[in-house]
Amino acid sequence: MAEGLAGSVEESLPKRVAEPVHGGRVACHECDLLLSVGGLSEGERAVCPRCGFVVSSRSRNGLQRAMAFAVAAAVFLLLANIFPFLSLETKGLESEMTLPKSIIDLYESGYSTIATLVLAFILLIPALVMGLVTALAVPLALGKNRPWLQPSARFLYMLNTWSMAEVFIIGVIVSLVKIGQMATVIIGISFWAYAAFTICFTAAVSSLDRLEVWDEIERLSS
Amino acid sequence: MSDYSPGSAASQGLAGCHVCFKTSPAELHECPRCGAALHLRAHDSLQRTISLLITATILYIPANVLPIMTTVQMGNSIDSTILGGVILLVHHGSYPIAAVIFIASVLVPVSKLVCMTWLWWSVEKGHKTSHRERARLYRVTEFIGRWSMVDVFVVMILVALIQMGGLLQILPGNAAIAFAGVVIVTMLAAESFDPRLMWDKLGKEDEER
Ligand SMILES: [Zn+2]
Ligand SMILES: [Zn+2]
Repeated sequence: MAEGLAGSVEESLPKRVAEPVHGGRVACHECDLLLSVGGLSEGERAVCPRCGFVVSSRSRNGLQRAMAFAVAAAVFLLLANIFPFLSLETKGLESEMTLPKSIIDLYESGYSTIATLVLAFILLIPALVMGLVTALAVPLALGKNRPWLQPSARFLYMLNTWSMAEVFIIGVIVSLVKIGQMATVIIGISFWAYAAFTICFTAAVSSLDRLEVWDEIERLSS
Repeated sequence: MSDYSPGSAASQGLAGCHVCFKTSPAELHECPRCGAALHLRAHDSLQRTISLLITATILYIPANVLPIMTTVQMGNSIDSTILGGVILLVHHGSYPIAAVIFIASVLVPVSKLVCMTWLWWSVEKGHKTSHRERARLYRVTEFIGRWSMVDVFVVMILVALIQMGGLLQILPGNAAIAFAGVVIVTMLAAESFDPRLMWDKLGKEDEER
């Protein structure tokens, strides 16, 4: 699903229709048509001629971009966890929330299922995905084979679907409007940090082309 | 005549890896490049998809009937359901937010369930037409699924932020868990559905009378 998002981010890339070939090396993920996407250069994307699935989309300097955005995302995620996220003021009463504290509070009030889900979807999985992007992009950019490349790539594409950073941002905006009617809400530094994290996260994931990553891993390990 | 569409990997005895896209002879059972299990088509895809869809539909009942959150104000507690919350927002005139919650919590999950069930049905019945449209529908369905989690996050933020001691407090309700369950289970259903099954009957229109 994040791939769908990545697809729309890369929509601007020139499109090349992949050619169907007998005994091809790659099959379309969605319709199983055998394809040849060889010779795709940076800044191009290959689309399945039968179903329209984006088989591969190579951003310019994809590995370097993925690395840079993943590091930036890590910094923003750290910031998002140490400053106030939102605070509220009404009739002289004040209340402030930070991301870790709100999750710990949920645990302590006995809502451990919700707390675990929120923790996983908005912090743990996104952080893990950024870690995996870095673990892949750095050795691949340097052309070094590393034993963790294969498991990292498998884990990355499995986890990616379950990261809900951008959904959380929409949730925050909805809550702001809901509470805004009865009290003054002050947006904290962490909110902006988390919003920046979401942007860097999306950019990092969309810079890594799944097919290219696997082609490179195969090339380096043989 | 093969069970698969012309030009497909499966029609040539090759299995496309669902993890790394590489094709390998189906007899290998394991992808030589990434180690994932190889199948011509995902194992038991249709059975798993429909069981997950049924589970999600069942979970959607408590998600709507039970309170999604409880507002405790000066000792009085008021429960609110998802739809109750939307109606309240409409009464207060906050139409945009009412629309966001309605779309994320009602429209998206319900249409996702309906669309996935229809796609499942189309494969089960062996539809031979509108392949591109079904492919597009599958992609949209897969993409929008996670956006339904918005309401769960809203509850979590309200609970965390509105802690005014004994004056005003918000507590999460069980519908929040049920609703998160609906979103997770429908996402799993979309994942277990093998879209390649939709294309297997392509080019078979003339075969049967
Ligand atoms: Zn295709
Ligand atoms: Zn593979």
